[in-house]
Amino acid sequence: MNILTFAKHVPTSAVTPRITDGRDRIEEDGLAYEVNEADLYAIEEALHQRSAHGGSVTSVTVGPARAKEALHVAFAMGIDQAVHVIDETERGMNASLTIGAAAAVVRNLGPDLIFAGIQAEDDLLGQFGVALAEELGLPAVTAVTEIRVEPQGRVAKVVRELGGGFKQELEVDLPCVLTIQFGIRQLRYTPIMSIVRARSRRIETMEINAMPIAPERRRAASQLRVVALSYPEDGGRCEMIDGSPVQVAGKLVEKLVAAGVV
Amino acid sequence: MAGGDVLIICEAGRGQTESANARLLAAGVAYAEGTGGRLVCLLMGHSLGSVAAELSRFANDVRVAESPHLANYDCLASLGIVQAQVAELRPELVLFGHTYIGMDLAQRLAARLGVAVASTCIDLAIDRGAVSFTRPMYRGRVTAKVVLESRPMIATLQYGGTEPPATTRAGTVTAIAFEPADDRRIRPVKMIEPARDGIDIAKADIVVAGGRGIGDRDNYALVDQLATALGGVAACSRPLIDMGWFGVDRQVGLSGNTVKAKLYVACGISGAVEHMQGMKESSTIVAINTDPEAPIFRVAHFGVVADLNEIMPALTREVAAVKAGRPSTI
Repeated sequence: MNILTFAKHVPTSAVTPRITDGRDRIEEDGLAYEVNEADLYAIEEALHQRSAHGGSVTSVTVGPARAKEALHVAFAMGIDQAVHVIDETERGMNASLTIGAAAAVVRNLGPDLIFAGIQAEDDLLGQFGVALAEELGLPAVTAVTEIRVEPQGRVAKVVRELGGGFKQELEVDLPCVLTIQFGIRQLRYTPIMSIVRARSRRIETMEINAMPIAPERRRAASQLRVVALSYPEDGGRCEMIDGSPVQVAGKLVEKLVAAGVV
Repeated sequence: MAGGDVLIICEAGRGQTESANARLLAAGVAYAEGTGGRLVCLLMGHSLGSVAAELSRFANDVRVAESPHLANYDCLASLGIVQAQVAELRPELVLFGHTYIGMDLAQRLAARLGVAVASTCIDLAIDRGAVSFTRPMYRGRVTAKVVLESRPMIATLQYGGTEPPATTRAGTVTAIAFEPADDRRIRPVKMIEPARDGIDIAKADIVVAGGRGIGDRDNYALVDQLATALGGVAACSRPLIDMGWFGVDRQVGLSGNTVKAKLYVACGISGAVEHMQGMKESSTIVAINTDPEAPIFRVAHFGVVADLNEIMPALTREVAAVKAGRPSTI
């Protein structure tokens, strides 16, 4: 069984990015990047399915040159092949163009299963998997927490979240797109040295401008336009309490007693 | 329908999220009043109770597709129904709650129509007929004001704590026919109900929740101890569920429980949108985190930027002392 996973290289979630003077973008210089966390779960699940059914796992990223680091991590986790669609102009941030490139890769490789994380930490849109499926004319299921591929390999039984503790079981025909929810499986520990060693693995590289992507997808400016970025407003309601642990405890409990909750 | 009309997709019945409807109504009413347009609600499911009648007190029309077949969320059938309504009504704006169903259906509709979605919106604003949306980016560390260039505009809205609109009207309720989708490649099999093994944390007055900052399994004892001292329940955010420490009945958030506690103590929780969705209506919120820019501090009433391994034991001791009438530990 051949599984394709899409991995996005996103600014690290550990720091707050700086906003440019123009306020319409974040400052990318000097920013650290990582693999989108939900996409790590997608890779982990793909590797699990490979253990169960044999076959291969290919990870794909669409982004500028630095995005190859996402594929190094994927190799360190144990994937078989990697594809980097180099997009220096839009840097993987033009949804329409990225979908066009992703679809071209899928058509070329013809996988049985296509995984993507449920949402990207940078844009928080949750759009990619569903839009890709629509472009390819394939069925898609989102927020997947369990996958069991039937022996003949043409149907998968999946469980997806509905919220509030509810889930549902569905059957979906292969090939299909599944967007993977956090926690579908425990993430393996990937030592830094294995990521460093993975830098020598061969990545199939292609220029986004050279790919068969419909002209209207190339021309489409983003239909979701950022007018201004800002840091979230405080609301001014959070009273910060500092001091030594004992002092903090004393002050905080005093406030909570005053609030009538202790 | 003319320009300036809004269609809101409400939810009702098992496995759906009724609590998002108030937010959708408020936004829908505000938009319709701002543009002079109509507000139409769409409800799809089974055993919908009086939800349609309740919605009709605020909307011009409530369209209801009720069928046993829709008791279990059917993404393709639901997409077909929404798509047909959009084709008929031609609204300027289509709103969904930021629920699992809303997130799924909004993206399907947008992909089908070839338009963008403003998802996870905190708010929408109407300024001289132009609509802008406020939504988080970069794990909630940055707020973006965005506009949608494509039509219809599609958005999913975060919800919680919204009052019903002030003015009521006598809207109609219209039954619409349900038809299974032609595309049979996705087939709902069964609904899985939430497992309720232990305490129902949604009913607790005091909740102490641990997040990724707790570190390892043994360290969760800090949460248990503080919860016991306060007379509350111990809970957690998603990462601890993903690591297999607890079942979803202990989880606070979109995937688990929504709590409206008198006191909510968030320990080592950064404040992902989906977590805050599940606790932001609590009356007193305390957050303990080493990251001063963690989004959780935005909903908290009291914040401590420090290592929970130092703060929590001190807090537990102080709470125990004060409750036992002993002198404070300071």
